Amino acid sequence: MDSKSLLEGSKLWVVEARIQLKSSLKDPEGETILRDLLHKRGVSGVEEVRTAKLLRFKVRSHSREDAESLIRKVCDELRLYNPVSHTCSVRVGEEV
Amino acid sequence: MRLVEEVAVTLTSEEREVVRKRLGREPNIIEWAVIEALWSEHCSYKSSRNILKMLPTEGVQVLVGPGFDAGLIDIGDGFVLSVHIESHNHPSAIDPYGGAATGIGGVVRDILSVGTRPVALLDSLRFGEIESSSHSRWLLRNVVKGIADYGNCIGVPTIAGELEFDQSFERNCLVDVMCIGAGRREEVVLPMATRPGCLVVLAGNTTGRDGILGASFASQSLDSDEEGKRSAVQIPDPFIEKLLIDALTEMFEQRLISAVKDLGGGGLATALSELAYKGGVGVDVDLSMVHRRETDMTPVEVLVSESQERMLLLVEGQKLERVSRMLEKYELQFSIIGRTVEERFVRLRWEGTLIAELPLSVLGDAPSVARASRRPEYLDTLRNTPPPREPEDLNKVFLNLLASPNISSKSWVYEQYDYEVGVRTVVKPGDADAAIIKLPNGKLAAVKLDGDSKKCYIDPYRGAMWIVSENFRNLASSGAKPCAIVDHQQFGDPGKPDVYWCFKECVRGVADYCMAVGVPVVGGKVSFYNEDLVSGRAIKPSPVIGGIGLLSDEDMVTTLSLKRSGDYIVVLGVTTGELGGSEYYEYIHRICGGEVPLVDPLSDWQLIEAVLNLRRMGVLRAAHDVSKGGLAVSLAEMAVRGRIGLTAELSKLPVRGRVLRRDGLLFSEGGSRIVVEVDRERFREAEMALRRHSVPFAVIGETGGNEISIKMNGEQVINLTVGEVEERWHYSLERLMEGYS
Amino acid sequence: MRVAIAKFPGSNCDQDVAYAISRVPGAWSEVVWHTELSPERYELVVLPGGFSYADRLRAGAIAAHTPLIEKLIDYVKDGGLVLGICNGFQILVEAGLLLGSLLPNKGLRFICKWVSLRVMNSDTPFTNAFEESEVVKMPIAHYEGRYYAGGQALRLFEERRVAFVYADERGGVSEECNPNGSDNSIAGVFNDTFNVLGMMPHPERASDPLLSPYGTEHGLRVFLSVANYVKGGA
Repeated sequence: MDSKSLLEGSKLWVVEARIQLKSSLKDPEGETILRDLLHKRGVSGVEEVRTAKLLRFKVRSHSREDAESLIRKVCDELRLYNPVSHTCSVRVGEEV
Repeated sequence: MRLVEEVAVTLTSEEREVVRKRLGREPNIIEWAVIEALWSEHCSYKSSRNILKMLPTEGVQVLVGPGFDAGLIDIGDGFVLSVHIESHNHPSAIDPYGGAATGIGGVVRDILSVGTRPVALLDSLRFGEIESSSHSRWLLRNVVKGIADYGNCIGVPTIAGELEFDQSFERNCLVDVMCIGAGRREEVVLPMATRPGCLVVLAGNTTGRDGILGASFASQSLDSDEEGKRSAVQIPDPFIEKLLIDALTEMFEQRLISAVKDLGGGGLATALSELAYKGGVGVDVDLSMVHRRETDMTPVEVLVSESQERMLLLVEGQKLERVSRMLEKYELQFSIIGRTVEERFVRLRWEGTLIAELPLSVLGDAPSVARASRRPEYLDTLRNTPPPREPEDLNKVFLNLLASPNISSKSWVYEQYDYEVGVRTVVKPGDADAAIIKLPNGKLAAVKLDGDSKKCYIDPYRGAMWIVSENFRNLASSGAKPCAIVDHQQFGDPGKPDVYWCFKECVRGVADYCMAVGVPVVGGKVSFYNEDLVSGRAIKPSPVIGGIGLLSDEDMVTTLSLKRSGDYIVVLGVTTGELGGSEYYEYIHRICGGEVPLVDPLSDWQLIEAVLNLRRMGVLRAAHDVSKGGLAVSLAEMAVRGRIGLTAELSKLPVRGRVLRRDGLLFSEGGSRIVVEVDRERFREAEMALRRHSVPFAVIGETGGNEISIKMNGEQVINLTVGEVEERWHYSLERLMEGYS
Repeated sequence: MRVAIAKFPGSNCDQDVAYAISRVPGAWSEVVWHTELSPERYELVVLPGGFSYADRLRAGAIAAHTPLIEKLIDYVKDGGLVLGICNGFQILVEAGLLLGSLLPNKGLRFICKWVSLRVMNSDTPFTNAFEESEVVKMPIAHYEGRYYAGGQALRLFEERRVAFVYADERGGVSEECNPNGSDNSIAGVFNDTFNVLGMMPHPERASDPLLSPYGTEHGLRVFLSVANYVKGGA
């Protein structure tokens, strides 16, 4: 059976993986944006900036759960992030 | 409190007894933390210093030898050159990007610690076999990016290095970085507290929990559970480092600082203690004054935090205002945390209350650890490995060898490094056997890093000698006379007698070589425990040598590319047949074994003087040492870089020992050899000079045409166009890393 | 010629530019901390290469929001000359003083290498010491150097606002010798009044034959051009 027929009746989902430094670790880029841009330009009220990388996948699968678990697996197994220093959260957006 | 148990964990019960005896009481937990950091293998060299004593460390140009953050060499005209080498092996194995980047940060701060400004970086990297291991490719890609992002950002050019791949590094990559600094002799300050009454200023990054217990982490083998070490991860911030460099440079020029010290392994605990006991003056510091990233840190955490990009400054009271202004200009955070005191103690306080008090006499000199040493039995088996059958088609073998990641061009790596910043890079990576930089007094220096773990595994003593030999030939081929080296010795667990024996032999090899030719070792580092607990396998013995040579003038600058058609190709030195550890054995035949070449330092030195003399006479147009891949690869590289072909006849080579087969003549890395292009019209002069220097040599061919044609007794052995060779040699590593074919 | 070299936190090539300018007869330069720089006192302001604010957010993005840039906008309106090299170029496009933007290189890697450039307009304050269409050698060293003209590339050529393009040794332009994937191989551009030049290649690194693998000093001609112009020679 080829993969096409397996995916019959499936839908396209948007899955986002957000990769960012663990919250216990310093984020120098966020700090610089906060201090040298926001604060120096007089923006007040912002206490922290942290950066992240967002990967946006379009996944064809039968269910929202399948799409999410596939991307979770991809992120973990293919080391799309380094678990030593980063966290990765996966979220399924609306169906396309 | 979890930390309490962790604090005492790396000290042996004997060591704890020594502490109690020296102190006359039981230390409290904070005092234990100080001693543990200071007495870690990483900081104390307790297993290695008796062996390191073999190395010659003195010379007329040596101002400061090993023992400080960097060695210092007098380069004349009131200027000094500083040099240091560091590794960041364990951190890079779990976080290659951050590990390599913070390694650069550390070695750069070592250079700042002696009052000099960093002017060049070199890197020496070892990974598993990237052709088969995607993990090793991931490590290489991220280590290189880590070095590039950090080095480029701080504006220090990365100008030379080396790269070796071997299965033994699959789980323990080695990331060595070397930094060269320069400065005025009168601006040099050494990292020690020599006068009471100075303020202790901590400048730079905030102190957080990152990297807590890194020094003892580096002194342990890698666990299978890499996740468990997460607290050891350090986030690099090259921006702060850059500001520190600029601020300190200005403060050095204005003589505002009495001493400056990097916070490396063991954090404040090590830095404060070393400043104090090296200078013989006490310090009294309140840890609660340290500017921190997290509010709920304990005194011990502040003490041993290894947050990066921090430096301690000792400042006389009347200069404090100018120092503060300078730090404020560069928007560097700082805190005044204490002062140097008459009493010879390290005193630590928290909100005024004394929490630790250690006499300097307790701190220095961790007791040496006597280690058992035994020659490994496998060495005999390795040495007696029979030679392989000679392949029929050596043309094909040659093409395969050129594509080996150990041989193919490293441009994929060095083009990611800004090797030009600072406008002092005279010879760029890849153009010669060493990189050449212009020093602030206008003189030129050549620098190079070399290693060869494959040879050191089969024969640690000969392998280590070979590395020094290669390094010096690299310097000489670039036009420089070797003047000093630093070494970095990397092994597995020193508690294993086999491993310890290899360590001793490698140091002895470096020592014997340097002693014979009178070149001092001005600094170095030892890294043990490079093995993983799962397999219990140690890395191959990996000494790395960083050499510095000086050029007498600009005309001495020599590159390796062929320059003109119709010149003679001359091989200097005798070809010998030992193929143990050669790329030909290892990559083509998958043989690990055989005999490792034995070099003779004194004939090497004659060779070096001869090459330099030929260049001075103006008869030598190009020079390239014979190393990985043997003569065939050296010739290929000279042809490709110059885009000029050549012919060569192997039977003309001066050889020693039994008659060599064609494969031996082509691919042997034995003997100490340099290939040179000699001006045809002035060959007679060159010939006479070489006789005077008693250097064996032979004209083996000529430059010209579009082909690399190598014959044996008139019969074609290798015949390829320069373009075909370039295609293999130049693009193989890039293809592998970028995943296209 | 009086030159100010602006130093931002993270500038790396300030001293390098000063070195190059020291090789121009009659030229004088000083490195000035960005908060202390008054452009009107100089005939040329150089924004040197490096990593201002560590290239955070985007290369040049944070430096473009500093008060110095506001002063430079007025200075340029009054005809003052501004040269942005590498990070300086990135700052100038972020500040809107030059058209376009600079994106990460096509290979997504930092690239340091010597390249050949073809001179596209030698009739400007910055390029009058070059020959029209000549091929010169300078090094590049950047991660965010892919010039994106936002659909205006052809207009830039028509208005002769392209200073240099990446080329082969004979001046030919192709994707193969376009190291970072820039639109139409553009390596440097002028503003519409030709008193601002931004370029990714580093002329200051190509201003001393000893430091060039080709024994050339093509980069020095950028500074010589400005000196000519200031003297009224061009």
